[in-house]
Amino acid sequence: MPFTSPLALLGLLFIPAVLAMYMLKLRRDQAVVPSTLLWSRLLTDVEANAPWQRLRRSLLLLLQLLLVIVIALLAARPFLERPTGLARDIVLILDTSASMAATDVSPTRLDAAKAAAIDALKDLPTGGKVSVIAADRTARIVVNETSDLGRVRQAVNDLQASTMPGDLGDALELASKLAARSGDAQVLVATDAAIATMPTVRVGAPVKVLSVGRDRKNQAIVALAVRTAPSTVTRSVFIGVANLDLEAAQRRIEVWGDGNLLEARDISIDAQARSDVVIDDIPNEIRALEIRLVGQDPTSSVAPDHLAIDDRAWAVIPPDRTRLILVVGEGDPYLETALSYLPNVELYGVTPAEYGPASARKDGRPWDLVIFEAALPTTLPDSPILAIAPPRTSPLGQVDGTLKEPGIGSVDPAEPILRYVDLSTTHIAEAAKLVLPDWARTVIPGPKGAPLLYAGSRSGLPTAVLAFEPRQSDLPLQVAFPILLANLTGELLGGSAAPTEALEPGTPVSLTIPSGATGLTVTRPDGTTTDLVPSASGGAAVTFARTDLLGIYTVTPVLGAGASTAPGATAGASAGPSAGASPLASPGPSSGASATPPPAIDPYAPVHFAVDLFDVGESTIAPGSAAAIEALGTAPGASPAPGAAGTDAPATTRDELWVPLLLIVLVALCVEWAVYHRDAVTRMRRDLAARFGRPSPDRGA
Amino acid sequence: MDGPSPQAAPLPGAPATAGTRQVFLPNEVDPTVFDEAFLRQLERLLLLMRSPVRGGLKGGRRSVKRGQSVEFADYRDYAPGDDLRQLDWNVYARLEKLFVKLFVEEEDVTISLLIDASASMTYGAPSKLLFAKRAAAALGYIGLASEDRVRVAALSGRIARRRAALRGSGRVFRLLSDLSAIEAADGATDLLAAARHAAAQLHGRGVVILLSDLLDPAADRVIRELAATGSELIVLHVLSPDELEPPLEGDLHLLDSETGEGIDVTVDLATLDAYKARLAAWKAGFADTAAKRRATYVDLPSDANLSDLMFAELRRRRVLG
Repeated sequence: MPFTSPLALLGLLFIPAVLAMYMLKLRRDQAVVPSTLLWSRLLTDVEANAPWQRLRRSLLLLLQLLLVIVIALLAARPFLERPTGLARDIVLILDTSASMAATDVSPTRLDAAKAAAIDALKDLPTGGKVSVIAADRTARIVVNETSDLGRVRQAVNDLQASTMPGDLGDALELASKLAARSGDAQVLVATDAAIATMPTVRVGAPVKVLSVGRDRKNQAIVALAVRTAPSTVTRSVFIGVANLDLEAAQRRIEVWGDGNLLEARDISIDAQARSDVVIDDIPNEIRALEIRLVGQDPTSSVAPDHLAIDDRAWAVIPPDRTRLILVVGEGDPYLETALSYLPNVELYGVTPAEYGPASARKDGRPWDLVIFEAALPTTLPDSPILAIAPPRTSPLGQVDGTLKEPGIGSVDPAEPILRYVDLSTTHIAEAAKLVLPDWARTVIPGPKGAPLLYAGSRSGLPTAVLAFEPRQSDLPLQVAFPILLANLTGELLGGSAAPTEALEPGTPVSLTIPSGATGLTVTRPDGTTTDLVPSASGGAAVTFARTDLLGIYTVTPVLGAGASTAPGATAGASAGPSAGASPLASPGPSSGASATPPPAIDPYAPVHFAVDLFDVGESTIAPGSAAAIEALGTAPGASPAPGAAGTDAPATTRDELWVPLLLIVLVALCVEWAVYHRDAVTRMRRDLAARFGRPSPDRGA
Repeated sequence: MDGPSPQAAPLPGAPATAGTRQVFLPNEVDPTVFDEAFLRQLERLLLLMRSPVRGGLKGGRRSVKRGQSVEFADYRDYAPGDDLRQLDWNVYARLEKLFVKLFVEEEDVTISLLIDASASMTYGAPSKLLFAKRAAAALGYIGLASEDRVRVAALSGRIARRRAALRGSGRVFRLLSDLSAIEAADGATDLLAAARHAAAQLHGRGVVILLSDLLDPAADRVIRELAATGSELIVLHVLSPDELEPPLEGDLHLLDSETGEGIDVTVDLATLDAYKARLAAWKAGFADTAAKRRATYVDLPSDANLSDLMFAELRRRRVLG
């Protein structure tokens, strides 16, 4: 019998020690008795007539010797080997995409997949290693090449179904690389194979699919949009519902606004069809909408379909707000055109000569942004400023002359103002030579440390300085120009702009930190919060990536010392937990004529964004073809990849025999206890027999 | 029989209980056992004998001799010289023959109290020797009250240390004094040799009462030889509770209190069961031997109540009547 730890058999050396204990002369207590007459006769009787007495006494010795032997064997870990059907190493891919939360298999497909995977790993060959890859939107390794099956089980059991669409391609590619490193590996894929597009990656190892799932009954919300009605008083909601089952379905759509049920509508959807529903007259003050797809019988405890997470969707309705931008300059058509395309913006213009106290608004509302184009007044306004080609040194920065055809330096890819802006083909004819002030950061670096664009917070006012006029470059002719202008005005307008459209789960989102705030706190739908702080480079935007939960996220600016809510500002509406309003960068008509006076903007009010699944492919939970996935791998028994350290010996697995040995130890301990305490046991039996009036069978024996 | 004699008055310093007359007792004798009521009860008892005995002095016990008592025994023909007062004139009137009435002669007997004073008798709580002394005191008092002669002998070593014979209930204090003077032997005791010595000192038939734990290899022969003396033998086998139910457990080295010899023994429940079986067989052997010799065998624990022993156990065994 082979042993895993044969050195432990050295424990048998304790056998002589046990024997020595019995061979040593027993130290006896002395007791004086009137006479040893009866005792000596008794001993004669015992020794002459009862050899069982000696045997009984030595029974303890036999038991202790047995215990020593069995414990030594137990420590040596004997085992039996048997051939196994698995390769030596296993790469386990566990599909954790949203469809794995389907309940057509009790309790869920993911739990069934976990059980199937753990059961398959029982046949892991001796010395085999296991890697576990969780596959949803991306692939991530949760256990890397371990032979500790307990750790593998724990890691597998800890996996949770995500809300993200699945992509087995990445996971199979990663598994292929891990398998190639092993040489003799097999890829196990525990999945429902419910994938819209079959991966094309080739796996250099045999692939075996542990298929779960058996039904496709599911209806899903696949689209949600909110638009302002032509009357501008109410809004309309567009809801797309897909029936992915092979039978027609009757469902009910519930529209909840700020936590209150606004409307419910029964719909009937044909098999494999989509139904679009428009619900009008959503009140204008509603800030958060939740759509629920429920069964038509609300009292029924049976789930209307097998996947619940695509039966809910959320939308955030930002308030219609307009921003007031004043352009002071001679008029640059490129600039004005680009600005006019910005949403919710009212654009005004004056010449430098006209600029002064007379240019203030009659309604007393301050300008949200003042753009000085190749001109600067003697007194700067108390509002955000974008200075373009400043003619002279001012509080906005020092001007040291001009630069001819300056080149653009290496830009910071994390710079939020340059997000989606490609300046690689931009040429500039002439620019002011600027010196970076201490309150700003360089956005577009120029030659010799002279910035071509810098931005920052000057005395609490967002300020940016562009060193060149757009028309002095080919930038206005490029698609980068309106994007750069949108990003720049977005930061200068001071809002913590959040995405207005629903995000896909797991998509990173860029959040703008309003001026005066030291960071952001993001509250996820489950109530957990994440604190975000600006990067070391001082960017005004941060990236938030934990968007793996469906629902509404709330972004709250963290105010620094000295920052305060603007006077007269309205706090974000919060009729419900998912309610809220984005005071800045709301979509809408480019210069919408609002019927009501636009309220003042609180730049520190919380903003919200929604994360929705909206993935028809993931909502299609019909189990796919396991054979198609297995066909991506090599045929079983095929030779391993060239250069891999393969082995010709058949893989075997070990069945350790610790359970029967442990049972023997326990039984031996119980018998030893009974032998050692046999007198007490006999007395107890006699007492019980006496108490219940029955003569003890061994009384007087 | 009258109550205790004037000699029984408490001596100065002797313990006394108000309203209860007590006799002077040796220190080791529990005074509450021998109070006046107990003595009164003892006086009503009589040591029963299986057959009339021939004694020396005229006593209170039936004799094989015909004598002067009031209990009619038989007639015989008149012979010249007979006491004319013994003629039965009524018979002469009917039969015209002279018959002399014969009456049972009441004579005394000798009650020998043989007390085993070996070292093993000092064990037990109370000790077997103390219990034997108490029982001997009670039996001796019964004998004195019955106008029998009572003699105490202590068996220790190889001899029997005999005390002078006592007669009459007035000698009860001497009896108690003799009992209290008995001390256990220091060394080993040859019970058979001591018993033979005591048997040699017996005169005529009487009653021999052996009080012993019989922890001697030749105890069986002791019973046989004492029974062979012609006296009626009563064996009071005294064992302590610790000998009946040994409080021993584990691996022990047992030391003999008399010989000092030791044996190794592992005491467990099985051993104790075997010991008890052996003990029962041992006592049954003595009882069998005694029965065959027309002797009386009574086994007693040393913690037995003396009153129960006298008025219940010994009367049940037909030792006292």
